[in-house]
Amino acid sequence: MNSENVRLGLPTSKQLKELRIWDSYFTPSYSHPGPDGSSRLIADIERALPAIRKGEFQKLCYFPHVGIGTTSDADFEKLARTNPDVTLKALERWPDMLLGMIQLNGNDVRASADALNRWLRDGPMLGVYFPGGGPAALPCTHRNFQSLVEQIAELRGVIMQHTWFVTGGKQSPGGSTPAELAQLAAKFPEQKFVCAHAGGEWERGIRAVQDSPNILVETSGFDSTAGFIEMAVRELGPERIVFGSHLPSRSLGTELAKVLGAEISDRDKQLILGANYRELLRPILAKGA
Amino acid sequence: MMNRRDVLGLAITAGAVSAVLPATARSEADEALRFRIVDTNVSLFRWPFRRLPLDDADLLVKKLRSLGIAQAWAGSFEGLLHRDLAEVNRRLAEACRRYPELIPIGSINPELPGWEEDLASCVGEHSMPGVRLHPNYHGYSLDDPRFARLLKTATEAGRFVQIASAMEDVRTQHNLVRVPDVDLSPLPKTVAGIPGARVQILNHRLRSPLLEQLAETPGVYFDTARVDSTDGVPKLTRHVPAGRVLFGTHAPFLIPNAALIRVHESGSLDEAELKAVLGGNADQLEGKLKA
Repeated sequence: MNSENVRLGLPTSKQLKELRIWDSYFTPSYSHPGPDGSSRLIADIERALPAIRKGEFQKLCYFPHVGIGTTSDADFEKLARTNPDVTLKALERWPDMLLGMIQLNGNDVRASADALNRWLRDGPMLGVYFPGGGPAALPCTHRNFQSLVEQIAELRGVIMQHTWFVTGGKQSPGGSTPAELAQLAAKFPEQKFVCAHAGGEWERGIRAVQDSPNILVETSGFDSTAGFIEMAVRELGPERIVFGSHLPSRSLGTELAKVLGAEISDRDKQLILGANYRELLRPILAKGA
Repeated sequence: MMNRRDVLGLAITAGAVSAVLPATARSEADEALRFRIVDTNVSLFRWPFRRLPLDDADLLVKKLRSLGIAQAWAGSFEGLLHRDLAEVNRRLAEACRRYPELIPIGSINPELPGWEEDLASCVGEHSMPGVRLHPNYHGYSLDDPRFARLLKTATEAGRFVQIASAMEDVRTQHNLVRVPDVDLSPLPKTVAGIPGARVQILNHRLRSPLLEQLAETPGVYFDTARVDSTDGVPKLTRHVPAGRVLFGTHAPFLIPNAALIRVHESGSLDEAELKAVLGGNADQLEGKLKA
């Protein structure tokens, strides 16, 4: 007998289903999907499936590379550019489970703009992810973001921005902090932004975005430090928090426990674990309908 | 492939959701009958940099009970920065006496004059089965002769030694109290030189080749508190000799459910392996020391 049916630390399966969990930050083979464009990605999704099932997740959003210089692999970039079907393989295999938001390259505005038309305007992607490391990373206060955000807003896409406040300063020059995201968000008050990882050092991160009502914080990417969700609910309100799993490089335990183990109401847990994210997606989903 | 219309259809049918979460405890209590759970890594009192939801011992113990944890080895957050460790350990022992689940694990700082008396008190006066070290907060390395002497003394007294390799991600620490993780590379040599020594490393994120070097060293044990990724605990379990991975949560700094879920979420440990990690290995370590 294996541990598939063990539920230590978790509510029952039925209870989790009732929460209708939508994961905003699923990171299988996040930096490279494999030389053929999908094999490593698919293997990593399969690796996460036991946890996805145990957590009763309804949907998970991942961040595909689409050949605009978001990896350092020239061969893969060419493949993704010339054969967009490779980008769709995972979505085609798990059509009821996966959502996608393309990784954008702030350093290549033209290619990113074309990709927005190809993947957001024409579907099936629902938004964008601005990475914090690698060749595509650029601080989100850079002028290159202006036209891209305008285009994303027009397409009603969701913007997920990687952020960290690292003690001692940025780990990479392309990284962004929640304070920088707040500067960007102030220029686009009608556009929603998601502050991925709540800045990692979340006490500082929450304060940095507190006065930016169009910024939501995402919950994954750091240890299951107690008190995070309680502070976020207190300072931002439960409507401004979206759950992310960071599976499989992080874990169901670390990420789901942050919300389930927090001293907040059941209603707040329902908002954070799915309802807020569905609301965030509503404009682009309505457009598709 | 599902199109946006399909997704929207699902999204808009949000029905009424019943209040669901409190019943968690019932299924955990049922499973606790199957698994004896020993948490080898909790701490009492106040974390120096923020209040934690469970930093009151009553609340912490209540939470541990709700998760089916039968025993918890408790250190003290005061052991990080306080220098009157005799009093720190006395308060810890007194607090633990109020809860049958809590086993006190005293703090020792070999940088302080008189650490030998602190160790003697932990062993004799407080009957602690082990002690916990914080070399990075106390400012010494594991090739310091005082560490070897401490380990030898503890071993001769039949006690294990826990080394907290980290307490917090270095990226999120207070700007004025930046504490690097403990350099564990001298540990294999030191432990190998002290027959019978038992050392458990807490809060680690070990990688090759140091993990292999430590795994090959008899007497080195590991906890699970910060072993992340969906299959991190099973991988660690299979990477080191049997009996060497002990369940730990690092509560109340970390939410204890997290470590508990991580042990089983990938479904890849069988029931015997789960029982060993959750409690059997800790019981064996204590048993070896008593023998």
